[in-house]
Amino acid sequence: MHESSRIDVGGVGVHLLRGGPRRDDGAILFLHGAGGAGVWMPFHGLLAERRDVLAPDHPGFGGSDDAEDVIEAMDDLVYHYLALIEQLGLTNVDLVGSSLGGWLAAELAVHHPELFRTLTLLAPVGLELPEHPIQDLFGMSPDETVAAVFHDPSIAAQIFPAEPDLDFIMGLYREKISFARLAWSPYCANPKLERRLHRISCPTLVLWGEHDHLVPIQHGERYVERLPDARLQVLPGVSHAPFIEEPAATAKAILDFVG
Amino acid sequence: MDFFMFHLMPYPHVPANFDEYETSWLTYPNKHFDPNKGHLLYHQYLDQLEYAEELGFDGICVNEHHQTTYGMMPSPNVMAGLLARRTSKVKIAMIGNALPLRDHPLRVAEEVAILDVVTGGRVVSGFVRGIGVEYFTFASNPAHSRDRFNEAHDLIIKSWTSDEPFAWTSKHYRFPYVNIWPRPLQQPHPPIWVPGYGSTETLDWVAKHRYTFMSVYAPTALTKRWLDMLREAAGRHGYEADPKQIGSLLPIYMAETEQEAHEHAEQHLMWLFHVGLKHKLEYLFPPGYMSVGSMRGMMTAGIKPFGLYTYKELIDEGYAIVGTPDQVREKLTELHDLLGFGTMATLLQFGDMPHDRAIRNMELFASEIMPALRGRVPAVAGA
Repeated sequence: MHESSRIDVGGVGVHLLRGGPRRDDGAILFLHGAGGAGVWMPFHGLLAERRDVLAPDHPGFGGSDDAEDVIEAMDDLVYHYLALIEQLGLTNVDLVGSSLGGWLAAELAVHHPELFRTLTLLAPVGLELPEHPIQDLFGMSPDETVAAVFHDPSIAAQIFPAEPDLDFIMGLYREKISFARLAWSPYCANPKLERRLHRISCPTLVLWGEHDHLVPIQHGERYVERLPDARLQVLPGVSHAPFIEEPAATAKAILDFVG
Repeated sequence: MDFFMFHLMPYPHVPANFDEYETSWLTYPNKHFDPNKGHLLYHQYLDQLEYAEELGFDGICVNEHHQTTYGMMPSPNVMAGLLARRTSKVKIAMIGNALPLRDHPLRVAEEVAILDVVTGGRVVSGFVRGIGVEYFTFASNPAHSRDRFNEAHDLIIKSWTSDEPFAWTSKHYRFPYVNIWPRPLQQPHPPIWVPGYGSTETLDWVAKHRYTFMSVYAPTALTKRWLDMLREAAGRHGYEADPKQIGSLLPIYMAETEQEAHEHAEQHLMWLFHVGLKHKLEYLFPPGYMSVGSMRGMMTAGIKPFGLYTYKELIDEGYAIVGTPDQVREKLTELHDLLGFGTMATLLQFGDMPHDRAIRNMELFASEIMPALRGRVPAVAGA
């Protein structure tokens, strides 16, 4: 069971999904990537069997408002989430972020390391490694995107309608614009992030799909190299969205880590 | 009616395996450009533009596109510079400089001002956003495109019309000392043209500033809608649009017989639409280049990718005018009545059309078409 609500964060209407037992010892805050906003997936449900799970939509994604005047770049999104965490009174947060949300999670932990009990990064972008380029999502056709994000492209059929209508396509286009605002150039990266990662003191788990066709695993290795207390775990048989392709294995890895 | 000869300067030589490339832009390798062939082509194309003055055209147009076989003019200002002192009467129109792609729009202000002073005020300054794929070329954020266009435009106009140094601060551009030398010769500044697709925002903006809009690559019915929208927008801003504000760019080809005209035109037009305009949609429409509303409008407008058009569809829908001089004159007279344009930009060389055919086409246009249309008042123009 989960609930869907709207909250106001600094004037921006945010769509929030929340499920699982409320406990005194903190919650899991899940930050979605360029796709996957607004949906309570089996993965969320598995985490919520044990923990209080919050999954807000970023401004400009899913059911949250557009906020192009205040969310122009990643640092704006960081301040947006600091306000959200404060407003909801979250402490001892187990922060989990996927891809774009992983980058965001790392930035948040750099900014306010004391807020977070643990950090889990699912195939995060954010680092600029010219020798290991991230594939250009903005130039990909829908079929190419599916082939990059999923190791088994048939998984996509469970998520996307066979014959998407105009509203569905426009919804994706809107999210792509919001994504472009954050990540067009430098592409999916903050060149200064790498030298700031030493500030993150909490234990960090970096999860990577064995067959990530989008973000080379060298990005994960570099995160682990720069983070004071981190380890890399590879999830077999999946590409860039392990929480969709193998929700049980991904949720188990996270729950084993955060306790 | 003012007649302009527009050039794209295509590089027509493509390899036998061209079909294997998903686009002729951005990722189409530049090994397919042979500089020796380019040398010959540049001189032929510049000869054509210079010859337009001799034939009595009012102006010649160059433009800006990047990383493509579609056109060899990444810098319209360089091309205009090459033409400035080889011509003495024609207007030289740069259609146009792609403002949002520049991190330093003042460079555009300076270069256009140089050209205006050197030519004694023969410059027309076109401003464009650049096409979507060029946001990949320059790693420029397409979500900022319209803001950057508006800001760069305002900055350039102010730089041309101020005679004291000033400081500029806008969201994307900050220059503490703006004080351009030279200032343009035409006062208050060179005429501004904006070519493109007729989004509501663009047409209203063009009308507000009393600039010239030029329709590009559209079926007659859509061109009609855009030009009517421009006239309506002018009305909203409290004036009647001058015919010279209403422009249309058309590929035109003539030969002595109808059959010969179509035989030649088909080859060259199909090169333009199927080779030069071979786009990958994701490159052509990057996120934010069009607003969600405009994208929705385009997806419901029934326009399809250029590469899917047959020659017959292009002719039937009015993307190009082809025939004997008599037929073309008749068709253009009809279009003049329907659309009411007072600025006519002609594409008389297009695609892989060789030099001799382009020259012949230009001569026929100058002798057989221009005299009939010049000074003509359209019968039923307007909304």
